[in-house]
Amino acid sequence: MRKNQTILAVMGLATVVTVVPLMAHHAFGAEFDRDAPIRLQGPVVKLEWVNPHAWIHLEITKEDGTNEVWMVEGGTPNTLLRRGLRRDCLTPGTEIIVDGYQTKDHSLARANGRDVTFTDGTKIFLGSSGTGAPYEAEMLATRQEQGRC
Amino acid sequence: MNISYTTLISVVLLMITSSGFSSYVKAQVRAQADGQWVMPRTADGRPDLQGNWTNATITPIQRSRDQDAVYNPEEATRLEGGRAARTEALNQPSDPDRVAPPVGGDGSTGAAGGVGGYNYFWIDAGDRVAMFNGELRTSLIIDPADGRYPSRTDASRQRMAEASQFRRQFGQYDNPENRPLAERCIVSFGSNAGPPMLPNYFYNNNYTIVQTADHIMIMTEMVHDVRIIRMGTPKPLPEHVKPWFGDSWGHWEGDTLVVETTNFSPTQLNQGQLSGATENLKISERFTRADEYTLNYEFTVDDPETWTDTWSGEVPFTRLSGLVYEYACHEANYALFNVLSGARAQEQREGGRQTPER
Amino acid sequence: MPNFIFKLVRTLRRTTFSILACTAVATVSVDAQTAEIPRTQDGKPDMNGIWQALGNAHWDIEPHAARAALQMQPGPVVPVPAKPVLAFGAVGSVPSGVGIVVGGEIPYLPEARAKKIENQENWSERDPEIKCYLPGVPRATYMPFPFQIFQSSSHFFITYEYAGALRNIYMEDPGPAQVDSWMGQSVGHWEGDAFIAEGSGFNDQTWFDRAGNHHSASMTVVERYTMTSPDHILYEATIEDPETFSRPWMIRMPLYRHVNEDARLGQFKCVEFVEELMYGQLRKNPIGPGEKK
Repeated sequence: MRKNQTILAVMGLATVVTVVPLMAHHAFGAEFDRDAPIRLQGPVVKLEWVNPHAWIHLEITKEDGTNEVWMVEGGTPNTLLRRGLRRDCLTPGTEIIVDGYQTKDHSLARANGRDVTFTDGTKIFLGSSGTGAPYEAEMLATRQEQGRC
Repeated sequence: MNISYTTLISVVLLMITSSGFSSYVKAQVRAQADGQWVMPRTADGRPDLQGNWTNATITPIQRSRDQDAVYNPEEATRLEGGRAARTEALNQPSDPDRVAPPVGGDGSTGAAGGVGGYNYFWIDAGDRVAMFNGELRTSLIIDPADGRYPSRTDASRQRMAEASQFRRQFGQYDNPENRPLAERCIVSFGSNAGPPMLPNYFYNNNYTIVQTADHIMIMTEMVHDVRIIRMGTPKPLPEHVKPWFGDSWGHWEGDTLVVETTNFSPTQLNQGQLSGATENLKISERFTRADEYTLNYEFTVDDPETWTDTWSGEVPFTRLSGLVYEYACHEANYALFNVLSGARAQEQREGGRQTPER
Repeated sequence: MPNFIFKLVRTLRRTTFSILACTAVATVSVDAQTAEIPRTQDGKPDMNGIWQALGNAHWDIEPHAARAALQMQPGPVVPVPAKPVLAFGAVGSVPSGVGIVVGGEIPYLPEARAKKIENQENWSERDPEIKCYLPGVPRATYMPFPFQIFQSSSHFFITYEYAGALRNIYMEDPGPAQVDSWMGQSVGHWEGDAFIAEGSGFNDQTWFDRAGNHHSASMTVVERYTMTSPDHILYEATIEDPETFSRPWMIRMPLYRHVNEDARLGQFKCVEFVEELMYGQLRKNPIGPGEKK
């Protein structure tokens, strides 16, 4: 994380986008509760590759020993499909770690996928700069050896 | 051995045919066999604008004040490199022993809404500065000359104020109708479908164009919005019929497709760049195939009762490598449900009307 | 040549021409259907235009008698319309139909047939049409709304008025769909004058009609569009879904061209129309009696 922050500081970049659609200003902040952070870890049980947001369902074990399924919000699967998303990319049973915030409606076991990774910390998917950077090809090759996308 | 030109092309074509290339690619190769790009044409001799295109770009719609119209190459490289560096940084592994983010939010601003949004790999905002006719553009708007929206008329400001006043009687999460059209899955983000067709700076800035003798069909990936452009002498709709995306009629001027659109839906006019426009709004667009990978898109927005001047833009559409996928939206719009139920839950917790968050 | 012979020859020529012309017309009218079909410049039947199905397939694709409503409840004497549909009266009644299923009956596996009955009993909660969800294939074809075909040498694109549904039928196979979708992924080719579209990658959320007929995500659909006249397409679709049906089955129906000069596709973006239904109870102040969440 520190490395990320350094790079961002050097580049002087605060946000990705220069023009933010009206809806985006509030959607995340309206949907999720800043005062209800979560960290979830458990196996994927279901994948909803849907729009406007993909939802990853994972099963966690609560402190009392019971299981609970949480839904984690992602982005549009269309982006990933153009980068080679396949049905076998993230299969039920794969363990993931999610940090984020629960929906404002606390009766729902739902959270934003602020950062979704495998248990070794690697991101479940890679972004692509579209520049064909060498590091991307390397990373992708390593991941494919591990059966990841 | 002297191979005739025709023989060479025939051999190339034979090889391509036998390797199972699409007829579309065949046409492209044929066009380039002599090393110079030739405009691909449909059977009726018109430029072939068909296929999948994207207008994703780093270049914003509007220029910063006192900015030049064009980047020098170093500036553009720096911007593109910055975008690439950000991608690389955000691709790095996270700490598997990380704890939950802080109570009170993680400090993220803008779209991330203080809760950190979601991973950057979901985003595909564009990696390149817009290059139009060889120029690295600093804005998509090129007229007025400062690359910024022109001033609005007093009447237009009045209309916007009235609309704003109407909205203020509601909390912004009170009803589904108080949410933006895109969040309700009614139309695409911003002006994706348009007209004018502008990038949304998030993702899925993709279009499919299909062209027949008397129609041009433009599909926007978000939210599977379709514009049907009828070719020929316009038979305008009655004034009171105002479809989403307006009513479009096209004709050819040489190798440029010219499209005129009127009859805009008032709901669509109540948001974004076209806010406060009147029913007399006219938008014209020009599509010119510039080369194998580029479709030059120009637009002009005209409503003298809203802006003191017309305003125009130039946007390069480039070939999309990949398919345009279904963006069904409404069918799985958990987000809208979560936003509304969240507002109600928060109100119950706080015992009162929810304060809008900024 | 003597004048009378000249006239005779001229008359013979004209008569011959007339006879030949009549024969030609006769020949043309016998083959009128095939000969008159408009063709694109690459020789294919030109299906460009606005089309619509007639009939009642959208209510129920199997042959059926008229009935009071789509969802019924037990009544004192006979079943009566259930509460969610009662207010529609005859507007909500189901008209009779000969159906479009070849052979008349959908060959359900036993469990799937039970699910169909369940769907009917819970129609108002389950029919995706109610929520303005995308209709899927083949239901999109025979919804009571027109659709427009955009056919070029490189594309075959259908845009449906209902809910803005659309399908880009790829003329080149991009490989199997990696996620399921409402309108599936279709690959098209020509077999002579018939356009074939092979669809797969459908999710399991769509129905075939308002009568609870359903399928799984394993469904594949092969459609055949054959122009039988300038203004008619014969539409056939073979449905295969081993999880739901005991064998493949077929539907068949004509599609009719909108021939009026000012025909144009309208918009039925119904998402707005169902917001009260779907989100009304989440309003800050729900309308009328209802449970606040």
